[in-house]
Amino acid sequence: MLRKVLDGLYLGAGYLAGAFMVAIFALMMAISIGREINFNVRAGDDFVSWCMAAMAFLGLAHTFRHGEMIRVGLIIDLIEGRKRWYVEIFALLIGCGFIGFFAFYAVQMNWQSWQFNDMSQGVVIIPMWIPQLGYSLGLVILLIAFVDELIHVLMGGEPRYEKPKPKTAEEVVEQAIQSGV
Amino acid sequence: MLELVEISLVLLALLTFLLCGGVWIAVSLMAVGWVGMQFVGGNIPAGPVLATTIWGNSASWSLAALPLFIWMGEILFRTRLSEEMFRGLAPWLNWLPGRLMHVNVLACGLFGSVSGSSAATCATVAKIALPELKKRGYDDTVSLGSLAGAGTLGILIPPSITMVVYAVAANASIIQIFLAGFLPGFLVMALYSGYIIVWSLLNPDKQPPREPAMSFRMKLRESAQLVPVMLLIILVFVTLIAGWATATECAAWGVLGSLAIAWWHGSLSWESFWQSVMGSTRVTCMIMLILAGASYMSTSMAYTGIPMALASWVDSLQLSPYALIAALTVMYIVLGTALDGISMIVLTTAVVIPMIKQAGFDVVWFGIFVVLVVEMAEVSPPVGFNLFVLQTMSGKDSNTVARASLPFFFLLVVAVALITIFPSIVMSVPRYFYPA
Repeated sequence: MLRKVLDGLYLGAGYLAGAFMVAIFALMMAISIGREINFNVRAGDDFVSWCMAAMAFLGLAHTFRHGEMIRVGLIIDLIEGRKRWYVEIFALLIGCGFIGFFAFYAVQMNWQSWQFNDMSQGVVIIPMWIPQLGYSLGLVILLIAFVDELIHVLMGGEPRYEKPKPKTAEEVVEQAIQSGV
Repeated sequence: MLELVEISLVLLALLTFLLCGGVWIAVSLMAVGWVGMQFVGGNIPAGPVLATTIWGNSASWSLAALPLFIWMGEILFRTRLSEEMFRGLAPWLNWLPGRLMHVNVLACGLFGSVSGSSAATCATVAKIALPELKKRGYDDTVSLGSLAGAGTLGILIPPSITMVVYAVAANASIIQIFLAGFLPGFLVMALYSGYIIVWSLLNPDKQPPREPAMSFRMKLRESAQLVPVMLLIILVFVTLIAGWATATECAAWGVLGSLAIAWWHGSLSWESFWQSVMGSTRVTCMIMLILAGASYMSTSMAYTGIPMALASWVDSLQLSPYALIAALTVMYIVLGTALDGISMIVLTTAVVIPMIKQAGFDVVWFGIFVVLVVEMAEVSPPVGFNLFVLQTMSGKDSNTVARASLPFFFLLVVAVALITIFPSIVMSVPRYFYPA
């Protein structure tokens, strides 16, 4: 039950991130075409920036669980068995620690924006805590995913953030493209 | 208070330890940033600085170009574009020594003009060119090497994901760096094609027979296959150069054009649409977290004063600019054996940029230099992605592919030397549109 809820949370936030990317595309097209026909998308550039931040952080947990958060595999790939388990626990502990630290201060920043009633500076004035929600929420979900993995590996499970080694040519190409370079 | 040298060494050792220990790159950068902040006096709060710096850098208009360019490549990879390019280009290259091997270079150059990823370019072109060239009896070594080398044109010829990442990390203009990539792109293509010509003249016995002759009209009919990709290139470049589009807008038009091509090919369905959306979302998120970690590390570095101290130390060495670039090239080649291109860029810009500015180099010029050294990393073992791609696509072992790519690796070194001696190869186009 809990498993289903958590997996749904990561995937749902991932879909939301995808939707924000489509929104960036739609906004950009509207701005670009709008300029030619004298239609001004009000504060379009602000909305694009906010969509960008929301997209970048809401999709993190899904990216992590999909095995696409990169790390240097050169040395740890040489380690196997029990020793590898210690390496994974070490990496996960550091990950939980710093993502937790990051998430805590992002939530704090978001909370303060709400408390002090920070407003956006642009053409359209809205409270800043609204666009910041994607940022803090995305990091909290990523933290949950990290803690989830730490517990899973501590209990002896196989890490789910590691993609299996590619076998077919299609898989290699897929992974190479996902490297972003 | 420790001396700066000791702090730098501690941070460097920590970073190496974390990266080797399998900690995610983005998290390692954050950790180093946090430890760096502990050395700074004056009670600067490490946590709030982290949250506000990263928020400020992430909610960014110019960064929005990144997901859109990635998306464009994802869509195009799933189309039949590579097949069309091979058939459209092949009839025209029969007369050159090396014949259809030049298709590798040209097709990668063309695909690079619509794609921002070197692995995607390499894979897309190799998918069709590798079996076709093998069938006709071309030499495997040069064919593999030229594909690995030319694949890297994906990040040198704009649009380029690597350039966007560099521009954001170095706080430079994306458009200017894009414009700066054109001539070096042609230069690298010329070097590759030149090598293929020379090799073919030296090894006439390894040349397969000519293709059957085609009438001019038939050639034209075959080339009609190139129309979609040409239209897309024109769309992207016109929006880029005409100046009525920012890089982000240009990316949006590129996505629209790519969707149109996919629709035209009949490969656009709701399923493939969402697949491409989620694929590019994940790549973007991965890059964005690395950028976030790097921006925190840079801020922390700036507080410690290490980059400036290092810059004036390098300045005091009185190195000639050529010696500095040679040293940096070696450093990046070494880094490239362990790190991927994007991590390499974000990791080094904070420290290297003040140094090269002091030495009198332009940030735009340095962007092209960085892209070229990242290209070298792509075609050199053990973590060059293009090598992985070709290794599995051709079924050869890693040594064969790496050795086949070696000449093309050295041609990239030649390209770096050329742009260092003649900086105007890089700077003339951006200076034409944006006079200094």
